[in-house]
Amino acid sequence: MSLPSATLLAQSVLSGVFIGALYGLLGLGLSLSWGMLRQINLAHFALAFLGAYLTHQLTGSAHWDPLATLLVIVPAFFLAGVVLQLVFARFAITPFNSLLVTFGLTVIIESGIQAIWTADPLMLDTAYGHAKFKLGALYVPLPELLTLLLSTALAVLTWAALRFTDLGKAMRAATEDAKAAAAFGVDVQRLSLLLSGVSAAFAGVAGLCLALSFTLAPSQIYAWIGVVFAAVMIGGLGNPLGPLVAGIVIGVSESVTMAITAPAWAPLVSFTLLIFVLLARAEKI
Amino acid sequence: MLQLREIRVAHGAATAIWDVSLAVGAGELVCVVGPNGAGKTTLIDAIAGLNRVAAGTMTIDGEDLGHLPSHRFCDRGIAIVPEGRRLFTGLSVRENLELGSYRKAARGARSSSLEGVLGVFPALKAKLEAPAGTLSGGQQQMVAIGRALMCRPKLLLLDEPSLGLAPSIVLEMFAVIRKINSGGMAVLLVEQNVAMALEVAQRAYVLEEGRIAAEGAPAELLASPHIRRAYLGES
Amino acid sequence: MTIRISARTGIVIAGLALSAVPLLKLPAFYESFMYLVFYWVVLATSWNILSGYSGYFSFGHGAFFGIGMYTTATLAGQLGVPFLWTLPIAAAVSALFGMGLGAIVFRVGRLRGELFALITLAVTFVVATIVLNTPIDGGQGVNLGGVKLPALMATPAATLYMLALALAVATVWIAHAIYQSRLGLGLFAIHDDEDVAEVLGVPTFRFKIVALGISCALAGVAGAIHAMFVSYVTVGETFSVFVPLTVVLMSVLGGTRHWLGPAVGATVITGLLYVFTAGDFAVAGRAAVGLILVVVILFMPDGLMGRFVHAARKRPAAEEGSPASPAVPPAAPPVPGRAAIPGGEPLLTVRGLVKSFRGLRAVDGVDLVVKRGEILGLVGPNGSGKSTMINVISGHYRASAGSVVFAGRGELAGLPAHRVAHAGIARTYQIPRPFSHLTVLENVALPGMFGRARLARPEAEREARTWLEFTGLAAKADALPEDLNLHQRKFLELARALASRPQLLLLDEVLSGLTPSEIDGAIRTIRAIRDQGATIVFVEHVMRAVMELTDRIVVLNNGRVIAGGAPADVMARPEVVTAYLGKPHAAVA
Repeated sequence: MSLPSATLLAQSVLSGVFIGALYGLLGLGLSLSWGMLRQINLAHFALAFLGAYLTHQLTGSAHWDPLATLLVIVPAFFLAGVVLQLVFARFAITPFNSLLVTFGLTVIIESGIQAIWTADPLMLDTAYGHAKFKLGALYVPLPELLTLLLSTALAVLTWAALRFTDLGKAMRAATEDAKAAAAFGVDVQRLSLLLSGVSAAFAGVAGLCLALSFTLAPSQIYAWIGVVFAAVMIGGLGNPLGPLVAGIVIGVSESVTMAITAPAWAPLVSFTLLIFVLLARAEKI
Repeated sequence: MLQLREIRVAHGAATAIWDVSLAVGAGELVCVVGPNGAGKTTLIDAIAGLNRVAAGTMTIDGEDLGHLPSHRFCDRGIAIVPEGRRLFTGLSVRENLELGSYRKAARGARSSSLEGVLGVFPALKAKLEAPAGTLSGGQQQMVAIGRALMCRPKLLLLDEPSLGLAPSIVLEMFAVIRKINSGGMAVLLVEQNVAMALEVAQRAYVLEEGRIAAEGAPAELLASPHIRRAYLGES
Repeated sequence: MTIRISARTGIVIAGLALSAVPLLKLPAFYESFMYLVFYWVVLATSWNILSGYSGYFSFGHGAFFGIGMYTTATLAGQLGVPFLWTLPIAAAVSALFGMGLGAIVFRVGRLRGELFALITLAVTFVVATIVLNTPIDGGQGVNLGGVKLPALMATPAATLYMLALALAVATVWIAHAIYQSRLGLGLFAIHDDEDVAEVLGVPTFRFKIVALGISCALAGVAGAIHAMFVSYVTVGETFSVFVPLTVVLMSVLGGTRHWLGPAVGATVITGLLYVFTAGDFAVAGRAAVGLILVVVILFMPDGLMGRFVHAARKRPAAEEGSPASPAVPPAAPPVPGRAAIPGGEPLLTVRGLVKSFRGLRAVDGVDLVVKRGEILGLVGPNGSGKSTMINVISGHYRASAGSVVFAGRGELAGLPAHRVAHAGIARTYQIPRPFSHLTVLENVALPGMFGRARLARPEAEREARTWLEFTGLAAKADALPEDLNLHQRKFLELARALASRPQLLLLDEVLSGLTPSEIDGAIRTIRAIRDQGATIVFVEHVMRAVMELTDRIVVLNNGRVIAGGAPADVMARPEVVTAYLGKPHAAVA
């Protein structure tokens, strides 16, 4: 186990930042729905992968520009989120049962993906994928940079919206005390639908980033669950900037670990971090 | 203006309010007193739309409130200062006040409403950006009343505004309430502090075990054995 | 319930019957299919022992099962340990791992349930990673073709069949035994309301760890046997998410609150899956599994057995009106240790008690003495700190400062709630918190089983029946709390508090919400309770009751005691009148 060179280490840190940004993007929607709607939406990951596969389809076969696919995916996924919330509200699903139902949904979506696109690994081949910048001695691939920009932009936008707009304040108020908020005219039901739709739309954007940087396979859906939930919990539920910051911390830790030891130990890093945070925070989640 | 006719309201599984009829006229200051457990909060929550009315009718200016969803009540001009304040503690004082004027009709007048509220409660000027949860009890009460005023209501509901407050602050609070009412706003006040409530009110109802036990002018009620028995248990 | 013995006998009989199948010399297909049914019955039932009974859903059963599988693969396949020896070792390794995980997660305060589900989901990947990257598997998988299977039956297939059958019978038997036992009752109580269970004396942490350990051990053995069945063990197949998902589904479909539910669900789903995977419908099969899970949660949250039990249960309809209050308490059991009547000596001494919440002093330096055998009224306007006092004395909250000394038991301040309960203090909740899925009888039997007396179940139930008669709920013994009206539920709270045979009973606004005639009945009952030797602290707003019942009153205002003494006297004092009615701006006589 020898220490790598400074350049290699720096490159590792950089790739850790990039993957952390993706953890943050995946975690953003999840943190919002868990923190503000009290639903644990496991299907968020399957939805992101669905978005990734759709991006692949539109870009690969229909030759769209990858960013243009968002024009279709974002509205479609927004609608999917709204429908999901309608179902949850109609059946008065408890937070725990939401976990079970979305677990089932995950499997349904995954099977659907496998039925349409088969289980063979898919890699998107675009001009984007090959573009790279150089930052001193370091390489900055375009897809990863795009992920970082999108993730940061969406996290900051969400934070700003919650902080400064009337709607955002209403959401924060409703999360704390829905009845009191309703007394002052806040339509809590409608806000929940909006939030659920936005969360799903974020999943779609995460899908684009996945498609650009990773090889896709249906079974891969489950590989992200552990680390993203760790990012969400460490970052604090309902905090839009939390998953991004925590994600980057986790990503960099993983990268550096991988550079120093072996690549295969990555899943242990986030898990260990999470256990530590849990032990430290004990009562306060 | 506000008319309740034989309404029945449940609290959880049990009926808490039985056949209550009461009215508040435009510009009146009416109070409802009664011992704890009598159902005062259940009653006022129903008027504010936080509780469903199980039977009977509730109208404001003739308009039936029975089938409205909770978030539409403030559009009809009803604003509540809930028991225990129920401020949004994670938000700043300013944000709490702004939320009071969330409804469309009030939003436009937000800045002038805010000026008005700060005129009534100058002490809040220094605290506008502080998180609401860090204020003292009295200050929180001011914010809660301010939030309701931002809604530009026709009828202001107050649920036990003196709860948990030091006596001197209670005096100030009631002075403010009197001032608001003298400006023309109808006020319905539910209170455990009977003496203060009956001092400011023009009319009063006594609520006991979910029913109206007495109503009339404050002076009469104070002199009657009703109050003493309801609160102190003298036989 | 006389059915109890029959059920376990039934399990054994079924087991014996099924063990005759290999003798029929059917085509191997049937033995394989039956093996799979037994295998899933074990996995689902073992999962349910923790997750179904206590409500702590684990999504990582695959990890525990996989650990068992790899224990055998390593020991038997790579190290040459005889196969049968690997079975108990697999059980032990898996159990230790699970209990270690539980020891960390179960200590976290809120969100224990969701956290446990997510962590166990993540654990599967972690374990898979470790196994994959170490010599345990190393990426090649482990071949068990060379391992000798003991020739218990004519063919290897039959041997595996018998092993699986034996394990299935044992697992279902254990599930039933726990269901009927003290452990099971405690787990179900935890499921409904863990905090109240803890207050009533259930050692929640210990029970969860034990259930988790048993669950993991059984899964480990299933894995060990399965390693021989597949004979080539790989990480991908072993730790796939399919196992935990299917286990959850089978139990939820069959009914998680019943010992037989998972077995029923396992049989049904295994049959369905065979239909799908037999053809080219593997993917569709998976989708169907997910769909069934969604549908069942939405429409049938209690599962098949839940429906069955619901229909079979003879539920008395909730009638309006109060339970008949006893004019004279019928043969109420004399409570041991209370024969000595009110000497009036101090039972509970509170000194300088303070409780602050984020800077707000709800209780601000209270001194209070409760004398043995009295009914002490604790009154005061809203927000005066009465309920907080009850919560601190009973251990629900930790005191910020001050001491609470209980005669003969020493200092109580700072003890966890279940220790306070064991010391002999019981309380009722203002808003009743019964265990909603336990019958009325079980609710009242629980404190006896977990309190200081630690009664066996039959004895606890006998006592419970006496308390139910005393509170007029005897006819409702087999009803569920949701079938009771508010008054009956309040009396259920009371019966449950009494069942722990407390020396000191704290009643928190037990009369609120009752009609005047119900209040009369309640007053009679409370007086009867005191006449048997209990000491009662009575927090109340209904003044009529306070005047009639209490021997002494203490008045709180703003967290401090402002008066104490005989009821009529205290309530006439000016400072008390002011506290309640408020000082008018212009003094009014």
